[in-house]
Amino acid sequence: MASFDSINYSIRPSKSVQRGLVFEGLRRISDVMDVGDAVYVGLGSIWFTDFVQAHKVLGINDMVSIEANEIGFRRAIFNKVYRTITVMEGRTRARLPDVLGIDGYNARPWIIWLDYDSALDEEVVEDMQWVVSNAPPNSVVLFTLSATQNAYGSKPIQRPERIRTLLGDVVPDDLAKEDCMKETLPVTLASLTMDFLKSEVADSARPGGFIEAFKIPYLDSVAMVTVGGILPAKGAAAAARALVAEASWKGVVEEVIEAPPMTLREIATLQAELPASAALTRARIQELGFDLHERQVKSFQQYYKYLPSFAEIIA
Amino acid sequence: MIPADKSKADANPTKAFFVRMITRDITLEDCIFDLIDNSIDGAWELAGGHPLSLDDDTDLSPYKISIKIDGNSFEISDNCGGITLDDAADYAFTFGRKEDAATENFSIGVYGIGMKRAVFKIGSEIEIRSTYKTEDGLASFRVPINVEQWLASGDENWDFDIEEAEDLEQTGVSISIVQLTEASNRSFESPRFLRNLRRAIARDYALHLHRGLVIEVQGKPVSGWKIELRQGGEFNPMRAQFEEELDGEKVFVEVLAGMSAPPPDDSEPSEDFDEGQNISGWYVVCNGRIVLAADKSILTGWGTEGWPQWHPQYTGFMGIIIFSSRRADLLPLTTTKRSVDETSVIYRQFRPKMRETTKEWISYTNTRKQIRDEAVKKEEVAKAVPIFKVSVRQEVELPKIMPKPKVPEANVLYTVPKPRLRSLASAFGNINMAYKDVGLRSFEYAFEDLVGDE
Repeated sequence: MASFDSINYSIRPSKSVQRGLVFEGLRRISDVMDVGDAVYVGLGSIWFTDFVQAHKVLGINDMVSIEANEIGFRRAIFNKVYRTITVMEGRTRARLPDVLGIDGYNARPWIIWLDYDSALDEEVVEDMQWVVSNAPPNSVVLFTLSATQNAYGSKPIQRPERIRTLLGDVVPDDLAKEDCMKETLPVTLASLTMDFLKSEVADSARPGGFIEAFKIPYLDSVAMVTVGGILPAKGAAAAARALVAEASWKGVVEEVIEAPPMTLREIATLQAELPASAALTRARIQELGFDLHERQVKSFQQYYKYLPSFAEIIA
Repeated sequence: MIPADKSKADANPTKAFFVRMITRDITLEDCIFDLIDNSIDGAWELAGGHPLSLDDDTDLSPYKISIKIDGNSFEISDNCGGITLDDAADYAFTFGRKEDAATENFSIGVYGIGMKRAVFKIGSEIEIRSTYKTEDGLASFRVPINVEQWLASGDENWDFDIEEAEDLEQTGVSISIVQLTEASNRSFESPRFLRNLRRAIARDYALHLHRGLVIEVQGKPVSGWKIELRQGGEFNPMRAQFEEELDGEKVFVEVLAGMSAPPPDDSEPSEDFDEGQNISGWYVVCNGRIVLAADKSILTGWGTEGWPQWHPQYTGFMGIIIFSSRRADLLPLTTTKRSVDETSVIYRQFRPKMRETTKEWISYTNTRKQIRDEAVKKEEVAKAVPIFKVSVRQEVELPKIMPKPKVPEANVLYTVPKPRLRSLASAFGNINMAYKDVGLRSFEYAFEDLVGDE
């Protein structure tokens, strides 16, 4: 099923946090690296949530969305939020060369975010290889994949082999099934996919190399990971490297983001306790009159600034 | 009349030749291995310096080689005894081996080029430090090399300065390199390069690692590859030992060959990674170091006279030929230690032995196709045995099986989109199921449904 048939994914809370972290990172990158006339390439679906951010936060006008589903394509054309968005129909691997073929696009930086809702597979790996070898200098590339364990083998023992089939030699020989369980797979997959991207760039000897910038495992009802980095022009590499090395860089997250779906009242109540230097505790939440898991409390305190508020509008 | 000033053709080497040219003939990985080889030669000398046969049980566990790599620097250090000041002044930094250089016993290094070529390939700011034992205690020195300055100083003076230095923590050598070349910089940033480096160390130094030598990459020791042949039932690998004399010097040779894994059911080339095929082939070992691994090329005879080219049908075969000698120059080593010198006398002498045993396996896999089930049963009886434990016998023993009259077979070949095949494999319970098995399972499924009992 295409994602737009299942859920409006702009209202998944952890997804919102991830999107917030990505666009904050992209904004900071645009401060140190010349991405002034960048093109945004993405999989906008019918919601175009990331396209709105790209336009508002980064000031990007020229944008391309690729849509494989025939009905999805018609709906995307209908729903596109700006005049300057081009919607292309087809698989990414087939249409990306056409994006590069648009007049002048091969000389402008790309912010490309292939936000798949599916698991890593052979097609995604091919897309990654194409993107890191063809994206113009000063591009930023991002990929989001499902880290649902069963998509890599219904039995845990099958998963290391499946991942090895997909990512090849970057997968350590001692990758164990324990690294591929529900709780561990998002982090494993994020690290190995990142290693794959780095290796691809190193092997193709891109002059500016690849700078790891985004590694974000997150969980709404399904586990997902976003990985990405900067492909700087040679002269821009030092500034970009320095930026992501700063302690304030938030694009690399070690623990899975698990923001709880919450009511407006709960959010308002918790927000009134923040910012605070001490950690919010479950006991305090209970004192306030409701309850959350410890990990949800932690995620909330860490990421509340990125959380959306949802309310139903009866039209 | 030739003028006096034109009576000699200038044949002096240039520094640039060594820095920019000969570094092109070797991979970065093999350069790192050249440095490891030097450390191992130190350890082997300290451990007694004798032939490295499979039966030998020299303990190398006191010795450790550490490699640390990042995007900006490379460092290798060891506790393998160090280079003495005399050796550094007279031999270690000479380009090429001097005629009067003492023979290191059973060493891997032989040409006097490895370390220089390696450091030039990796970067241009180099510091080599050594701490060694003297009668009066420890002594140390350092040799800093700035490649650009050395090149700029002209082709008359080739010497490197030797300077005083603090002692290292243990006797040994430490080489650190910064200002990496573009190629090493790129490779060192690649996690794939680093993982493959570990894999190659595990394989090519398997015999040393087996004896306890510790090689660490990024602080994590590499586990040696367990080289095994199947033994049992009607399968018995060949393990024959020979002693030859060359130039008045002994060369010890050991040949092992047999089944390392059962042959594949399907001999069609598969696009998928195939572990079995990856490790099959011939291995050549010189003074303990695997210089040619899993070779399926003309170098080890495949495709030469009376010997077919490699085919996936032969997967499962492993042959190992081990040469050792006090004088490494008698062995079929090339300067990169990543191949064999086909013109080497000793190597040519043993090629027929390699051919005979390979042909035995080829013949077995031909027969096996017709009596697959029977063969599989026999293969199951044979168990993996480390090569060190393989019993000595002059020839490989493989099952003698008489082909049976066979039911005519039909080959089915069809193409489907990969995602659909993966979905079906997944529905059969294993997303990694081989394509062939998905096909067979589907056939059986349909056959049972539509035809029933035969």
